[in-house]
Amino acid sequence: MDAYDYLFKFILIGDSAVGKSCILTSLIENKFKKGSSHTIGVEFGSKIINVSGKRVKLQIWDTAGQERYRSVTRSYYRGAAGALIVYDITNRDTYHHLINWLADARTLARADISIIAVGNKSDLKDKRAVTFLEASRCAQENEILFLETSALTGEGVEEVFVKVAKMILNKIEDGMQHIEEGLGYHGLFSGLIDPATMMSGVHAGARSLLNEASPAEPASRCISC
Amino acid sequence: MWSDPSAGRSASLAAPPSSSAQAASGPTPGTSDPGPSSSSSSGPPKKPLVKLQRFGACFAKEAVDLNELRELLWSGVPDEADPSVRAKAWQLMLGYLPVHVERQVTGLSKKRREYRELVKDYFERSPEMRSDNENQILRQIRVDIPRTNPGFKFFGDAVMHGIMERTLFIWALRNPASGYVQGINDLITPFLVVFLASYLNKRDEDLHELEISEVPSEVLEHIEADAYWCLSKMLADIQDHYTFGQPGIQRMVLRLKEIVKRIDEALYDHLTNNGLEFLQFSFRWMNCFLMREFPMRCVIRLWDTYIAEQASGFSNFHVYVCAVFLVYWAPQLKMMDFQQMMLFMQKFPTEQWRPQQIETLLAEAYVLKSLFHSSPKHLS
Repeated sequence: MDAYDYLFKFILIGDSAVGKSCILTSLIENKFKKGSSHTIGVEFGSKIINVSGKRVKLQIWDTAGQERYRSVTRSYYRGAAGALIVYDITNRDTYHHLINWLADARTLARADISIIAVGNKSDLKDKRAVTFLEASRCAQENEILFLETSALTGEGVEEVFVKVAKMILNKIEDGMQHIEEGLGYHGLFSGLIDPATMMSGVHAGARSLLNEASPAEPASRCISC
Repeated sequence: MWSDPSAGRSASLAAPPSSSAQAASGPTPGTSDPGPSSSSSSGPPKKPLVKLQRFGACFAKEAVDLNELRELLWSGVPDEADPSVRAKAWQLMLGYLPVHVERQVTGLSKKRREYRELVKDYFERSPEMRSDNENQILRQIRVDIPRTNPGFKFFGDAVMHGIMERTLFIWALRNPASGYVQGINDLITPFLVVFLASYLNKRDEDLHELEISEVPSEVLEHIEADAYWCLSKMLADIQDHYTFGQPGIQRMVLRLKEIVKRIDEALYDHLTNNGLEFLQFSFRWMNCFLMREFPMRCVIRLWDTYIAEQASGFSNFHVYVCAVFLVYWAPQLKMMDFQQMMLFMQKFPTEQWRPQQIETLLAEAYVLKSLFHSSPKHLS
């Protein structure tokens, strides 16, 4: 049941009260968590999703949004293969800060991290303060993915994770191609992911065909970030 | 020698720590007079009553003897006590309520007046006069207050939100090195619950359905001022928990790691071999003093002891409590991998815990602390 092809580590970042923890709960429990307290430091969640016929296990670090917690949360960037930068579509400030969060991710995470901007609370149509179009343009200019979600209704939530996972899978497959062409992983430019290195935030599971090089590990084995 | 607190207990997750004889009597605080008190001389059925009388006698003196009160409060305010006992004991130990009985009434009204001035100076200024930084602090507080949820209905009430907003905002402005940090909103709630219980003469467990509109506004004003000052006193000793980089918390996490390595190396190895870092699970324990791990009735009992320990309760003794708490779950944790442990430690099965179980933790933490303090080389 728990077998997977890949293990990807994700990080959820963004201003406080934009709904990061609610997105995580929505993904994992398929429900909206009402009356939950704000995150202190970092919380953790996990789910296996299907992406392009592969079983991908996500380990997600959900961070506290307040500035003061940066000293704790920044240590989680390095081990992440994917980052979700969440803002609240009803609050322009949280959208303006997207660029700061992106800068953080670009500085602290690996160069090949896959990033998506997530406009949450899409159910609050009457209170919308950030249009889909402007956010989409901003994401394009910054070369990151973009989607809107509603943690309340669940709309778009799984898609966000699938989208980032797909991007990472593509990078891995590009890397595989290079290997087949005899170039190897290590001579590659950044942007390609080596599932055999622990540091990439990507880890091959027991089901993986890529696993020939390393001895079979139990599927549930985890690595630190 | 240190004994494994999990020894002899069922490995079942649902099984709470058994209430040992040690927990029932509790250790005496070891600050100035480590000698055993007379509290252990009476038989168990009469104990709470005797203890109540001792609290009464302690408060009735011309000047309250804080050493005596420390010893009483350390082992907890009995369930049978009048709700005002705990409020009074906390306020005395925190240095808010004057020890001289004749000065208590005037002392309190002076501090409450002072607080009203602070509200005028810091909070009731016109919003245009607020700096960007102040607005940012206020925004963060306003975002967090509705999410402060220690299990009481009245924390969802707008009147209570107003109380928390003012106290937290004023505290943040008067303590610029830290300012408001998420989690401080959690820390004011035990004060509000205990002081409300005292004023309304109800047990804190009977406050769950309380409507704030039933409480006279004068009472609310007093509670707000008292909670503000007591929070300030408590935070004064742990300010570097919330300043830039949160060095106080980092230090405590490191110390926890050292202690656990010393008392349960197998558990320590299991955690580290699975890639688990202490910061990943214990940051919250330090930031909120296990408030997210225990129901309020247990938090309040924990705080009896921390407040009795005065300056070192929150900054030092808490680490030993955390170590005992972690080691308590060792049998379960040792069966788990990284992910299972992370998820388990985010939601310990402690919702049904009673204060008696906290007393077991405290008793064991006390033994542990004495052990480490008598031979500090253990930590080198």
